[in-house]
Amino acid sequence: MAVTITWVKARQIFDSRGNPTVEVDVGLSDGSYARGAVPSGASTGIYEALELRDGGSDYLGKGVLKAVSNVNNIIGPAIVGKDPTEQVEIDNFMVQQLDGTSNEWGWCKQKLGANAILAVSLAVCKAGAMVKKIPLYQHIANLAGNKTLVLPVPAFNVINGGSHAGNKLAMQEFMILPTGASSFKEAMKMGVEVYHNLKSIIKKKYGQDATNVGDEGGFAPNIQENKEGLELLKAAIEKAGYTGKVVIGMDVAASEFFGEKDKTYDLNFKEENNDGSKKISGDSLKDLYKSFVSEYPIESIEDPFDQDDWSTYAKLTDEIGQKVQIVGDDLLVTNPTRVAKAINEKTCNALLLKVNQIGSVTESIEAVRMSKRAGWGVMASHRSGETEDTFIADLSVGLSTGQIKTGAPCRSERLAKYNQLLRIEEELGDAAVYAGAKFRAPVEPY
Amino acid sequence: MSVQEYLEKHLLSRKIEEAVNAAVRAKAPDPVLFIAGHMRRAAPAVITRVRARQILDGHGAPAVEVELHTNKAIHRASAAGSGALEGAAADAAGAAERRKILAKVVADSVRMINDKVSEALVGMDPQEQSQIDQAIMDLNKARHKAELGVGANAMLAVSIAACKAGAAEKEVPLYKHIANLVGKSATTLPVPAITVINGGKHAGNGLPIQEIMILPIGAKNFEEAMQMGSETYHHLKDVILEKYGSDSCNIGDHGGFAPNISSISEGLDLVIAAIERAGYNGRIKLAIDVAATDFCTGKKYDLEFKSTKKSGQNFKTADDMIEIYSQLCSEYPLVSIEQPFDKDDWEHSKKLTTLELCQVAGDDLLMSDPERIKRAVNEYTCNALVLKANQVGTVTEAIEVVKQAKDAHWGVMVSHRSGDTEDSFIADLAVGASAGQIKAGAPCRGECLTNYNQLLRIEGELGSEGVYAGENWRTVNTS
Repeated sequence: MAVTITWVKARQIFDSRGNPTVEVDVGLSDGSYARGAVPSGASTGIYEALELRDGGSDYLGKGVLKAVSNVNNIIGPAIVGKDPTEQVEIDNFMVQQLDGTSNEWGWCKQKLGANAILAVSLAVCKAGAMVKKIPLYQHIANLAGNKTLVLPVPAFNVINGGSHAGNKLAMQEFMILPTGASSFKEAMKMGVEVYHNLKSIIKKKYGQDATNVGDEGGFAPNIQENKEGLELLKAAIEKAGYTGKVVIGMDVAASEFFGEKDKTYDLNFKEENNDGSKKISGDSLKDLYKSFVSEYPIESIEDPFDQDDWSTYAKLTDEIGQKVQIVGDDLLVTNPTRVAKAINEKTCNALLLKVNQIGSVTESIEAVRMSKRAGWGVMASHRSGETEDTFIADLSVGLSTGQIKTGAPCRSERLAKYNQLLRIEEELGDAAVYAGAKFRAPVEPY
Repeated sequence: MSVQEYLEKHLLSRKIEEAVNAAVRAKAPDPVLFIAGHMRRAAPAVITRVRARQILDGHGAPAVEVELHTNKAIHRASAAGSGALEGAAADAAGAAERRKILAKVVADSVRMINDKVSEALVGMDPQEQSQIDQAIMDLNKARHKAELGVGANAMLAVSIAACKAGAAEKEVPLYKHIANLVGKSATTLPVPAITVINGGKHAGNGLPIQEIMILPIGAKNFEEAMQMGSETYHHLKDVILEKYGSDSCNIGDHGGFAPNISSISEGLDLVIAAIERAGYNGRIKLAIDVAATDFCTGKKYDLEFKSTKKSGQNFKTADDMIEIYSQLCSEYPLVSIEQPFDKDDWEHSKKLTTLELCQVAGDDLLMSDPERIKRAVNEYTCNALVLKANQVGTVTEAIEVVKQAKDAHWGVMVSHRSGDTEDSFIADLAVGASAGQIKAGAPCRGECLTNYNQLLRIEGELGSEGVYAGENWRTVNTS
């Protein structure tokens, strides 16, 4: 007899910033249970699936008791009796029938909340793996039709700016990618060593205060311009002895400093007495990126422009896309409809995969498959508010994304994912393959 | 062996009949699953393998993770990494050298667990915690004789993994299993001592003391305590932002803020302002972890040890410090002071404790060591224990020192370590041992929240049976 879902229970727990989030346990008829917890972002794109918050004064308006109630009283009872290995059926049932809300871009999960639906979707996915008695990453690979597993290159977020940090830096993140490592384990060693060397450099130059960390474990030294961040990275990589083996990635989150009125990008947006003197056009910003790329080993730029600035995106992708992956985060919000449009218009050439932007495992897998069939890169990603749930580690292996961005080697909600990847690599043994320099296209499309 | 002999030797027919009868009595909706579960429970668990690997702690430093395999399941635990390095050797080394030493210690521990520990524990019943811990201690002693290595953290991970296996075998939650090992019931949720401001050695500001914490003693349950704590934390961020600018809102090792302040009063004033803004006046008390050993020179305490231009006015005697603490206790709702003096200054710690102004918690002074606790109890040196499980070495030893402290009517604050991982064992320990208090950092950083989240789950599971320590935070289960 098939194992079925017998109970579902949601609760409110805390994410890594001390904000409430949804956690769901799914109980099975064989007595076991699986658990999923939902991440949330600080810099969210306007096209993301709706994250249901309570408002009011409790938890400064960020409570999720309504979403918890939606799981306990609506979703839970409705999926009792279902087979947890039927991920597509359950996800579609929740998204299309129980919620049913949609907009021009697809299902928007406005009624029950994407945080409610996703928490159940994650827990069901884990339950499905348990029932099939295979590792979660293998279960995800099977759901996607992926025959080849790959350990992803980690993109360590080591310098923070933007809305995640208190300094004046406009660009949100600077990352290091150990593409020259021979295994994930070695990539972790490289990343940790560069990180600690960076810490020493920052401490000497900016003082001990500057070695406190931001939401994702990166440093936020009081630097004044973006190029200074790149110089720090270069120095840290050299000092650690990994020049040529570790490359640089940037997450600009340009929507945060885009001016709707005059269509400019204000690199000074965090300055209190901002006179607007540092506003530049999309084309000028594009040229700035190109100058960075010519001077530093940059191989990835994420969200270089506003989420609606499709044309400037396309120009940049056309001009440097061979050498540098142009990653769409806010532009795509992991939405298959937007991904399809971006593929057609050659707007970017990589997807940032954030499961809570779209709100279910099934839709996330679909966005990845579309991207891979278009020859795009895929970077699985955390959010700035994370929990100790390690789902995205298994997701990145199961889908062979080739890349994972889950913060600095600091703060255990980040390390939990990296630790899980260490376990997976050990478990795969000789069959383990590290994406390395092929991180943009590690496997054949599936 | 014939079929008949096999059946008779293992009493198979009888066992299967018993399982079938049990399924019929229970009218199980799925009899096959029920019977499978029944048969599984009839087989005793036995440890089949112990395997270790290196992972990374919350600071990105090497730490040991252990997987303890039984014939039924795999149980995993990890313990803080950087806490392993203490003492003169660690003090002398620079940051890079310390990391190398730590990596070697962890690698050695991994090998030892995979070889000697696994060999020693295979065949044991995971429910026999004290026997397992004794075997671990024996191995550790033998190892200490061979080399001056430090293996406490690695051994603790094995002990915790075994404890989890024991709980699973008994089919009870971990905290209930721990309570059984203690010999008491486990229904008390601890008051969280939530880190909100970081100072001391690891922060860049001029604040000499290591931590300022808030205790939501006036909450009606743990969930509300966390609501009070997280709201106050976020309001504190706003207060600091307004007063010191955005640079001060990045976080330290335990998730606290490190604003550019240089005195204890300044820090406490900020916290009071945040509590008022959150609307929790009178319901939240304060605590400080001084870590005075870090700024004690000879017999004096340098409150400006982090400053490059000293005024000369802040070089205090121990008696001056007592005066300062008394003043703080009268001006603020300060109810707990941790490690107020150097770890060897028993005399003045006793003086402060005797004043009975607040809880005086021993951290470096006691190091969770039974002999030191015994002496401190006899000499009235402090009146609370900061329990760091990896200072003791095993679960059994941790339970023993809790009993020791409670027999003396002391408070017990279960504490995390700098360099924790995502393992949430100390949450179950705090409930199982009826500690009454837990210190797990700020409502920030996954290694801190993992413990608070586990306590939320435990409270949810206990339902109406759960009792929040609240006003009894210092006296839980000592009456």
